[in-house]
Amino acid sequence: MDPHGEKLLEEFRQRRPRLVELEGLVLCRLQEALERQHIEVTAIDHRIKKEDSLAGKLERKGAKYKSVDDITDLLGLRVITFYTDDVDKVAALVAQTFDVDWGNSVDKRKLHELDSFGYNSLHYICRLPAGSADEALCRIPFEIQMRTALQHVWSTINHDNGYKSDVQIPREYLRQFGRLAGMLELIDDEFSRLRNSLADYRRRMQTLVASGQLDEVSLNADTWESYLQTRPFDRLNRRIAAVNQAELFPAPLKPFLPILLALQMKTLGDVQRFIDANADDAYLLAVTQLGVTDLDILTESVGLQNLCIVQALKMGGGRPAIVRILNAISSFGDNEVLAQSIYDRASTLPFMNNK
Amino acid sequence: MNTTIKEQNGEMVALFEGRLDTAAAPQAEKDIQPLLATSGQNIVLDCNALEYISSSGLRLFLTVLKCAKAKGGHVFITGMNNDIRNVFAMTGFTNLFEFR
Repeated sequence: MDPHGEKLLEEFRQRRPRLVELEGLVLCRLQEALERQHIEVTAIDHRIKKEDSLAGKLERKGAKYKSVDDITDLLGLRVITFYTDDVDKVAALVAQTFDVDWGNSVDKRKLHELDSFGYNSLHYICRLPAGSADEALCRIPFEIQMRTALQHVWSTINHDNGYKSDVQIPREYLRQFGRLAGMLELIDDEFSRLRNSLADYRRRMQTLVASGQLDEVSLNADTWESYLQTRPFDRLNRRIAAVNQAELFPAPLKPFLPILLALQMKTLGDVQRFIDANADDAYLLAVTQLGVTDLDILTESVGLQNLCIVQALKMGGGRPAIVRILNAISSFGDNEVLAQSIYDRASTLPFMNNK
Repeated sequence: MNTTIKEQNGEMVALFEGRLDTAAAPQAEKDIQPLLATSGQNIVLDCNALEYISSSGLRLFLTVLKCAKAKGGHVFITGMNNDIRNVFAMTGFTNLFEFR
């Protein structure tokens, strides 16, 4: 390496502690900004350039740099997103959080000809905004790369096998890399399209739930959550709570979904009919249990739990069906004795004797 | 009613003995204060020697659960007899807690 390169390398060694400081600060601000905007990413990689890597760079093109300030990737961060749309969201966030040197930043996605495919990534050269840290730290540039997970996979494999390699890669293999890049771009777009379609589907289902068109809404995790927002079990819960003037405490109702599906409910209309058909019997079952106690605190799962037990018994499931329900909603373990006790009480009720 | 708190294998363990009813709840509430002061450790409510639980006892367990959850901890209940299980089932408390 020439004396100029040696000088730059020495400047880098002296700057390293400040780069470590900058790395922590930038990472922290980036993570905070992503969390604030609820953007989920697969990873944020970060590194300070290794000395041997910098030495190689200076040997190749050291004359290009007057001082170590001109080397913009001594600190590098890479944000890897799930979706291609999120790359632009992260970029907007980076521009909002740091000062971007637009002259030196590059959108590699736009460098391709219409009929060529290859490295797709967005590289921003940034600095901390003036006043957000001491002046010297705010002057140090750093690079943030943004790309999707699939772009990351492609560029990592391409980097290991092509770029910077000592061996000239034959044209046919380079073309194969290009074809793979095109395919991954297509897959990235499909993932984004799928996410948007799912979001549309959720919105549509929420509208149907809100307008009461429940027979058109299939029962699944998303629609169940929307349906719960209409608080369909409140009336039954309040009725049961009134037995002992009990207070009702919120409880998760998600664990009941597999039970409803096992009870052959396919749409939210089925769920509504299940409530209407069983609410009185579920109330009576709850009363046989709570009426002989002074328990005055219940959870909001009490109505649904009794509804499920009543429906399972009406379908002829007997005690094993109660065991299955209890197993699904709790990690008690052995629920046989408890199920027998519930079954015995239910056996005294009209719905079990009028079959 | 007796409540003993100890630390075991990195978890806070509360051992309840006797009847956790309305009369016993105020003292038990004082006894469980160390559980509310933990910094996200898991908590085990050992009910092997607990004979009975009333609404006051359920509220006490709920206080522990809310406090632990807010700090990212878990609350496990262990050793409940059939009567107490029954109380948990009929009140809908079964799917609030984790059981060992």
